[in-house]
Amino acid sequence: MTKVVILKEEIIASVVGPTGPEQRRLANKVMEETLRKASLSFPQITYIVSTGYGRINVPFSDRQVTEVTCHARGIVHLFSGARTIIDIGGQDSKGIKIDASGKVVDFVMNDKCAAGSGRFIEVIADTLGIPLDQVGALSLQSSHPVKISNICTIWAQQEVVSSLAEGVPVADLLAGIHYSLADRIVRMVSRLRVEDLVILTGGGAKNKGLIKALSEQLNRSVLVPPNPLITGALGAALIGKEMVEKARKNKTPIETRERVFKEVEIL
Amino acid sequence: MAEEQKEAKPKKRMTATKAAASIGPMVKEFITGTLQARAEGKQKLAYTFIVCHHEEIFRAMDVVPIWTENFAGICGAKRDAERFLQRAESLGLSRSLCTYALCGIGFDQWREELGQMPPDAPWGGMVKPDFMISSGQILCDPRSKWYQASQQFMPDVPIYNIDLPYPLFQRDQDHREVLGYYHRYIVKQLRGLVAFLEEQTKKKMDYDRLRELVDLSDRTWNLIEETYDLRKAIPCPMGTGDAMNTMVPINFMMATQKAYDFFVELKKELEEKIARGEGEVENEKYRLMWGGGLPSWFALTDFNYFNSKGASFPVETTYRMVAPLKEMDLPETKDPIEHLAWRWLGYWTFWYDKARKRPGSEPDVERLINRIEEYKIDGVVMHEAFSCRTWHVGLIWQLHQLAKIYKPIPVYVVGKDGKKEKVYRELPSLILESDIIDITSYSEVDTRNKIDAFIETLESIRMNRAA
Repeated sequence: MTKVVILKEEIIASVVGPTGPEQRRLANKVMEETLRKASLSFPQITYIVSTGYGRINVPFSDRQVTEVTCHARGIVHLFSGARTIIDIGGQDSKGIKIDASGKVVDFVMNDKCAAGSGRFIEVIADTLGIPLDQVGALSLQSSHPVKISNICTIWAQQEVVSSLAEGVPVADLLAGIHYSLADRIVRMVSRLRVEDLVILTGGGAKNKGLIKALSEQLNRSVLVPPNPLITGALGAALIGKEMVEKARKNKTPIETRERVFKEVEIL
Repeated sequence: MAEEQKEAKPKKRMTATKAAASIGPMVKEFITGTLQARAEGKQKLAYTFIVCHHEEIFRAMDVVPIWTENFAGICGAKRDAERFLQRAESLGLSRSLCTYALCGIGFDQWREELGQMPPDAPWGGMVKPDFMISSGQILCDPRSKWYQASQQFMPDVPIYNIDLPYPLFQRDQDHREVLGYYHRYIVKQLRGLVAFLEEQTKKKMDYDRLRELVDLSDRTWNLIEETYDLRKAIPCPMGTGDAMNTMVPINFMMATQKAYDFFVELKKELEEKIARGEGEVENEKYRLMWGGGLPSWFALTDFNYFNSKGASFPVETTYRMVAPLKEMDLPETKDPIEHLAWRWLGYWTFWYDKARKRPGSEPDVERLINRIEEYKIDGVVMHEAFSCRTWHVGLIWQLHQLAKIYKPIPVYVVGKDGKKEKVYRELPSLILESDIIDITSYSEVDTRNKIDAFIETLESIRMNRAA
């Protein structure tokens, strides 16, 4: 997903749009939509920070910052006591450790295996024909979560199909899938020595079943921001705002790119 | 056939030192040297492994070593390993086995099937040996199995296995109590190797020559220590990227005058760079340690990427397979074989006493702590190569232990509520995931995204400290 947050003192507007192969063109579209929502023209935007895997493909970005730093900045803005952040997205999952001043001190990432990311649940939801936004709530109806033994998304998909054919209730299968993903993520973030407050963000944070599974396996409460999809974009906007404020304070020039939407064809 | 398709030529890594830049031709020279030796037929050639402390014996007997791991590394660095890996896979060997071994076995099978080198073999290829010296040491299990697998295609080539154990670390037991037993055993193993080589070469060992070569190696060991110690300078004159080149004389050319002379030159070059205040990177911002794991030979340009962010690598644990002999307190002996055995044990138990003194420490962790302190390290980078269990399985555990033990002076920071809070300085770490030569496990985009995030983490810590 491509997200845009426009910030002044508080969030003026935010939009979440799909990400396709033509990232540069899509960045234009989502930006245009957000500007419309905020009733602003493009030149009125003082500074733009892009983040995420596609950050280098945003043609109008003034600065690129990784999602680790941006998520941390966004989360600390929302939860000042945050120490551990777990970001579960469709592409990867991350654990971020931050100190009392809100700075990142360590992080871990899983970008090798779909079974350790939100993609795992997306694939299973698709296999079961259940809308993604319903799988979490359905999993909470389980009384006997099944053990998913396959650690590969494709094989787990087969395992779910076989179990379904054997009459295993869908809720138990979904609960098993959520525990399986939570188990992999907890093992990954354990390297960071998890401390409270633990904040879950990204698309995974919209899934109640996953929040429960993570909370149980971490043996801690897991807090969720009101709009977990935009915490990275919010962090990027906050970083941009700080940079501008710092430059103004120090009376140093702010270098920005031209505020025009260029038609970009990359495919 | 898929296996005949070669991958795109890799970008060349920029080196910081002239010495590191000179390594490529040097490696090519000893690969072509093996081809020449085979063609001339005057010397015997042997497959063998690095870090076995047997180079002196080989060279004293005029046996030419063929470093099979090195050849696999060359295939990886030239991004030309895949066709040999695929061939090994088609023989029924799993891709999750050591990819050095798979590459070597695939190459051997192909060469023996053709009766000549596979087409476009890297740098002329790896010649068929007269015999193979495997090593059942603790370091790595494929070292005893690899040649057995290759022997299927070369049934006429004998294998001699040397067993090189060392006492494992036990906190409550002084390793010196059992060192004598280990020493006697290793001496017997090395004498067995001498006897095997005498039988194969029909020559007798010249023990005076062996003594000279052992002395040359010892001097080279000390010289390497002195040379690498120069990298403590700020800015650091040579990084791990270069050390992945300069590992060649350490690991493949020991007991040669050329290796000694190489380090004389490198030491001089580093001293000159230090005098000029010249670092590996122009504006050194972060000092990192390559804390474990063999590198991805096909992606050494990642070191340049780190450098482009102001990060230098003054020290690494990988391939620094020497330790200061003067600090080892090795028993005096005139017998070079006995000395080799003492040196072997001295190297592997080098950190034991220090680790014992620090509660909760272990030798591998102790080495990391010492390097962090001596080289003023800001962060640790490790590489988990999926196919190399022995070297990589304990890396995350080492980082855990490091985090528990390494607690320097507490730092006070102002929390969000405006109150001062005591925190211990964290040493951030980055674990890269890929393989030594299997390029299918690597993604440049993901790797560099991780590096970017790590650099930002280092920067935020630096700003915290400044605050």
